[in-house]
Amino acid sequence: MSGGYRQQPGGAGGTTRKDGKRVAGKQAFPPPGSGGSKPKMGPRDLDYIPESVGGKEPQPAGSHIHDRARTGTSVGKEMPLVDSNAKVTGQAWYGDDVRLPNEVIGKILRSPHHYARIKSIDTSRVEALPGVLAVATGADSPHRFGVLPVTKDEHAMAVEKVRHVGDLVACVAAIDESTALEALNLFDVEWEILEPVFDPKKGLEDADEPIHWRGKYHLSKTNVQKRVFQEFGDRSLVEKPHAESHGKWKMSGVHHGFTEPHAVVAHWDPNGRLQLYTPQQVPHYTHRALSTVLDVPMHQINVIRTFVGGGFGGKSDPFPHEMCAAILSRKSGRPVRITFDREEVYWINRGRHPSHIEVKMTADEDARISGFDIDALIDGGGFASFGHVTSYYNGVLATAPYELGSFHYTGARVWTNKPASGAMRGHGAVNTRCAVEVGLDEMAETMQVDPIDLRLANLLPPHSRTISGFRITSNGMREALEKVREGSNWDQKFRQLPLGKGIGIGCGFFISGSGLPIHWDPNRFPHATVHIQVDMDGGVTVHTGAADIGQGSTTAVAQVVSEVLALPVEMIHVRSHESDTSPVDLGSYSSRVTFMNANAAIRAALEIRERLLNAAWDILGYHPDNLVLNDRRIYYKHDPAIGVSYLKALHKAQEDKGALISSGAYRSPPMGGVHKGAAAGLAPAYSFSSYVAEVDVDVETGMIKCTNVWAAHDCGKALNPLAVKGQIIGSCHMGLGQVLSEKMVYGRTGHLQNPNLLEYKIPSVYEMPHVEPIIIESCDPEGPFGAKEAGEGPLLPILPAVVNAVYDAIGIRLRDLPLTPDVVFKGIEKTLKRSDYDDPNDLPSPRLKHSPLQATLVARAQEHKIRDKARQRTEDTSPYVNGVLFGFDPNLPLEDQVEGWRTATEPDPEQLAKLGLAGRAWLKKEQRQMGGEQ
Amino acid sequence: MLMPPFTLHNPTTVEEACEIAGMLLEKGEDFDWVAGGTDLLPNYKWHINPKPHVISLARIDGTDTLSLHEIGCMARLVDLTAENGIHPLIVEAASKVASSLIRRNATIGGNLCLDTRCFWYNQGEDWRRSIDWCHKADCGTGADCRVIPNQNTLCVATYQGDIAPTLMVLDAEVHLIGPGGLRILPLSEFYQLDGMTKNVLKKGEFLLKVTLSEESAKRTGSYQKLRVRDSWDFPEAGVAASWIAGDASTLQIATTALESIPRCHPEEVAAILETGWNGMDSVKALAMSIRKVIKPVNNTSLPPRYRKSMVRVLTKRAVEKILE
Repeated sequence: MSGGYRQQPGGAGGTTRKDGKRVAGKQAFPPPGSGGSKPKMGPRDLDYIPESVGGKEPQPAGSHIHDRARTGTSVGKEMPLVDSNAKVTGQAWYGDDVRLPNEVIGKILRSPHHYARIKSIDTSRVEALPGVLAVATGADSPHRFGVLPVTKDEHAMAVEKVRHVGDLVACVAAIDESTALEALNLFDVEWEILEPVFDPKKGLEDADEPIHWRGKYHLSKTNVQKRVFQEFGDRSLVEKPHAESHGKWKMSGVHHGFTEPHAVVAHWDPNGRLQLYTPQQVPHYTHRALSTVLDVPMHQINVIRTFVGGGFGGKSDPFPHEMCAAILSRKSGRPVRITFDREEVYWINRGRHPSHIEVKMTADEDARISGFDIDALIDGGGFASFGHVTSYYNGVLATAPYELGSFHYTGARVWTNKPASGAMRGHGAVNTRCAVEVGLDEMAETMQVDPIDLRLANLLPPHSRTISGFRITSNGMREALEKVREGSNWDQKFRQLPLGKGIGIGCGFFISGSGLPIHWDPNRFPHATVHIQVDMDGGVTVHTGAADIGQGSTTAVAQVVSEVLALPVEMIHVRSHESDTSPVDLGSYSSRVTFMNANAAIRAALEIRERLLNAAWDILGYHPDNLVLNDRRIYYKHDPAIGVSYLKALHKAQEDKGALISSGAYRSPPMGGVHKGAAAGLAPAYSFSSYVAEVDVDVETGMIKCTNVWAAHDCGKALNPLAVKGQIIGSCHMGLGQVLSEKMVYGRTGHLQNPNLLEYKIPSVYEMPHVEPIIIESCDPEGPFGAKEAGEGPLLPILPAVVNAVYDAIGIRLRDLPLTPDVVFKGIEKTLKRSDYDDPNDLPSPRLKHSPLQATLVARAQEHKIRDKARQRTEDTSPYVNGVLFGFDPNLPLEDQVEGWRTATEPDPEQLAKLGLAGRAWLKKEQRQMGGEQ
Repeated sequence: MLMPPFTLHNPTTVEEACEIAGMLLEKGEDFDWVAGGTDLLPNYKWHINPKPHVISLARIDGTDTLSLHEIGCMARLVDLTAENGIHPLIVEAASKVASSLIRRNATIGGNLCLDTRCFWYNQGEDWRRSIDWCHKADCGTGADCRVIPNQNTLCVATYQGDIAPTLMVLDAEVHLIGPGGLRILPLSEFYQLDGMTKNVLKKGEFLLKVTLSEESAKRTGSYQKLRVRDSWDFPEAGVAASWIAGDASTLQIATTALESIPRCHPEEVAAILETGWNGMDSVKALAMSIRKVIKPVNNTSLPPRYRKSMVRVLTKRAVEKILE
C-alpha cells in the first residue's frame, strides 16, 4: 500500500467528523516517521551510508528512517552510563547531599490514626520552643494537587481529615534535627476518630464517611475512586468453549524498594524565586503542583532534579513533603531540608496496588483464544495518585500480544485507609499479566498442548491492531519465544523434570511511552523537546528535561547525539538537572524517555548536522548529498582525501550567528480508537518479552529457589546493549521479589507491619538466579534508531514464568502472591489431604502427552511465522486487525461483519448481575444520577 | 533517624567495667552494655528503650579469646565462621547469622544476649505511637501486649539468635560477671521465659565468656535454619542437634526463634529413647513430638502455624544430617 499505513480499515473517505475533529482509528496514516515536524519517512537509500561507517550493519527488520543518521559512532555499542563515574566514586549528589548555607531541618508530624478528622491543631507550644523557626499546617495551603489533573486529591498537609497512619498533619523547621524532633511532640491535635476501611472489598460498599468526596461524580457513598468497563469483540465466541481456565488471584502490595529515601531541599533565593532540589522522576509535574500549591507562577520556581537513587515509579508523583519544604522555607526565610526515614518512605508509598484479580479465558476447537474476561479490584490506599490510569492498565494492557475473539474487562480502584498505591515499574500491567499467562498455561494443559506452541499460534503480527485499537508496529514476540525455547532447552525439560524441579514460560507486553501526554493536547505541544548548543570549542551541550533515574536516559541522549554528529560520547555534555535551563519534558514514567526524548535529540542533532554540512559545502564546493560526516571530519563521498575538519566546518557555520543552537521535538502520531478510555494504554510502540524460568521447590518446606532465567526482550534496537542487559537482569530481580518474597504486610489492626528493609524482603544476591539476557531487535519504525523501551516491560514475564515453573515442579497452581514458603506449604498440604499421599515427596509431577491439537498449532505457528516475517520487513503492508485469525476481513469494519461485535464501555443492564467482584461497582449510581449533588 | 544522646563508658578491664556498672547502679541510673552494637544501636536509633548510659566492652583486653573450649564475649562472629579450631557446629551456625557485613561487627556475647524481637516492637517511634505503644516498650503508658491482647504480664517477643541452640546441644556453660562477682551456669539455664527479662543476667552483670567441655569436642552436630533469604534474615525457626556419633543416648536437640527463649528438649529426646532407638522412625517420632511442644506466636514474618510445621522438617533434617 503505497499511501502507507492504515490504522483501521474503513472510512477512507471521511477522515474528519462534521465538527472537524478527527475520527481516530479510521483514517489512513502516513508511513510511520519520527513525529515532530517531519513525520513522514523519507525515501530509503540503503547505499547512502558507506559500509565503513556502519551503514550496512545488519538490519534485522529492514531499513529505518534513522539509517541516514547512522555514523557507526556509538549506537549499538556497549558503554558504561555517562554518570557512572560520579556514582561509583560517591560524588553524585542525591537529594540529601544538597547542603545550602544556613539550612534548617524540616520534620513532619504524621497521623497516628488510620482515619480521623482534625478538630483543631494548637501549635503554640511548638512555636514557643527555642530553635523552632517555622511551623505550618494544612491551613497554610488549601490548594489541592495530584499527579493527574482529573484526580487532584492531595494537600501539602491534611486539611480536614487524615486518611492513613503516617498521613501528613503539620510540619516544623528548626535549627537542627533534634530540636525539630522535640517540636513534633509539642503539637496539640484534637482528633475525631472515624471508622477506617482496610479491605478493598468493603470499599465497594456505601460508607458513612467516604475517604474522599467527588461531588456529583461520587459513586453513591462508596469508596470507589474509579470504575472501568470495557468489552470488545464477539462475545458469542465464549459461550461454548473447547477449553477454559479460571483463576482468582490475590496479589499483595509491593513497594519499589529504591535505595535513596525521599529528600528535598527548598530555598527561596534573594530574588524571591523558589529553588527546589528533589530527586524526582517527573520534575515537571512537581513544578506545576508547586505553582498551584504555593500560588506563584511557574517561572518563579526552579526545580532542580538531583541525582535520583532509584525511582521505579515511586518518585513520579508531586509529593506533599516537597510542598512542606517550600512552605517552611518561605516562612522561615532559610533553606529547609527534609529527609525521610525508611518508614516514611513506606507511608508515602505509591507502590504496586494490592489486587484481587479474576481471569477467565476460553479457547475454541482450533485453540484460538476466544475470550479474555478480566476483573480487577485494586486497593488504592488513601489517595488517587496514578490510580485512574492503573484502573485501565489492569485490563487494556492484556489485549496483546495475542489475537483475541473477545475481551471483557471490569476494573475498580477503591480508596482504603492505607498508604496510597501508585505507579511502579510495569505500571498496572504486572498483576493481570501474571494471571493471564498462568491462565494460558492452564488452558494449554487442558488441551494437552505445549504452552509455547499455544502462544506462537495465537500471536498478533507486526503492524497490526489489537482488539482495543492499539496500533502495534514492530513486534519481536515470536522471536523472543523461539529464542527462550531454544536457550532453555525447553523441549527436553517441560513436563519431564522430576518432582521439585520445574520450568515455566511467561510473556510480556508493555507500552513504550504513553501516547497522550497527561497535561496537554499533543497537537499543541510536543511530548519531548531537546536543545543542542555547539560553541567554538566543538563540545556539544545538550539540554533536556529527561530525568535520569538510573535507567540511563542521559546516556541514551548523549549516544544518539554522538551518533548523528559522529563525535565521541565524551564530547557530548548533557545538562538535565534544572527546569530553568531544560526544555519541558514530561519525565521518566511509562517508559517514554528513550523513545520520545532520544527522538527529539536526533531531530535537534540532525539540524546541527545540516548546518555543518552546509558550511562544508561552502568550503569544499560539494553538495551535502555528496558529503560524509564522520570521525570529526566532513569529506567528499567519492574521494575521502578531500575534506575539512569538524572544527573548521563548525567555525565556518558560526561565522554569522555564533554558537550553533537547535531544538528538536517529538510528538506521537494520532492513533487509537475513540471509545471512552481509548487513550489508556495507547503508545507509539510496544515492547514484547518472553522469559523461561527454572525453579527448585523444596516440597517439605515450600521454599522456592529460582535457579535459571532465559530472558528475551524486544527493545527494538539496543542503543546500549549493556544498559539493556542491566535493565533485564534488574527487572528479573524486582519481579522475583514480587513473586517470591516481597509483600507489604497489613496486620490485623490495619497497620503496615514491615516498613523497613529487613522485614520487607527484597531478594538478596543469594536469591538471584543466573539470568541469560537475550536482546531481540525488531527495529521499530518510529523508535530512535529503531529503539523501544527496556525499562519496565522486562519485569512482566518473570512472575508468570516462575508461577508456571512451580506448577511444573509440584503440580499445584498457586494464585496467592508472593509465593512465600508458607503459601506453597499450604498448597502442598491441601493437595496431600485431597490425595492418597502422606509424604510430599511422593507427589506426582505433571506430565504432558500431546493431543492432536498440538499438530494444528505447530502448523499454524509455522504459517504465521512466514506471515510475520513479511510484515515485519514491510514486504507485506496490507492491513491486519485483531480478528483476522477468526476469519474476518481486515478491510471492512468488524462491526459490519458480525452482528454481535461490540465496543462497549458501559455494561448492558442485563450484564449487571453477572459482573465480577470489581464489576459490582457498576451496580452503584453516581450522585448526579441519584438525585444527589448536581 | 537520630541516635538519642547517651554517655558512653569505655572500661579497659573487666574490673573497671564492673565498677562503672556498680557506680551507676548505686546512683540509680539506667544503662545498657554494648559489644558489637549491631542489635543495640539500631534499636536506639528507633528510640526503643534507650538508656542514658552505655558501657562498651570493646576495649577490654582478653575478652575476644577463641579456642575449642573457650569463646570470649567479644569474639566476632566473622572469626567464628573461619576454621579457628572451634567446633564445626558453631562455625556452621555463625556463618548463617545475618550478613557478612554484620558478622564483622557482631559478637558472640551480643548474639547470646540478643534482644527479643517482635513485629510490634522493632519499629520506629512514630509507628509505635500509632499502635499506642506495647508492653515491651510502653513509654510509661503501661500498654498492653499487641500480639496477644488483654494480657500484660508476659512479653511474647521472639528470641531469634542462631548460635544459642548450637551451644546448648554442645553443653556450653556461660560465665556471668558483675559487681556481685562471677557465676557459671549451663547455657540451657541462662534464658528466662519472658521477652522482657530474657535471661538471668542481673542488672550490672554481663556475659564474659562461653566455655565448652572436653566432651563437647567429640560431638557432631547440625544446625537447620529457616529463613526467607539466605542473607540478612533472622531465623524464623532453627533447630540444632548433636550427638556423640553412634550413641543415641547422647542425642540433644535445641530449638530457637520459635519462642521467647531458645530451648533444649531433653524430655522429648528421653521419651523417644525410652521406647528404643529405631533409626529414621525414631527421628520422625522425635520431630513430631518436638513440633508439639513448640508454641510460636504471630510476631515474625512467617505465620506461626507454618513455623510450627517446619519444626518437624528441620528436626528431621538436623538429625538426619548427624546420622549420616
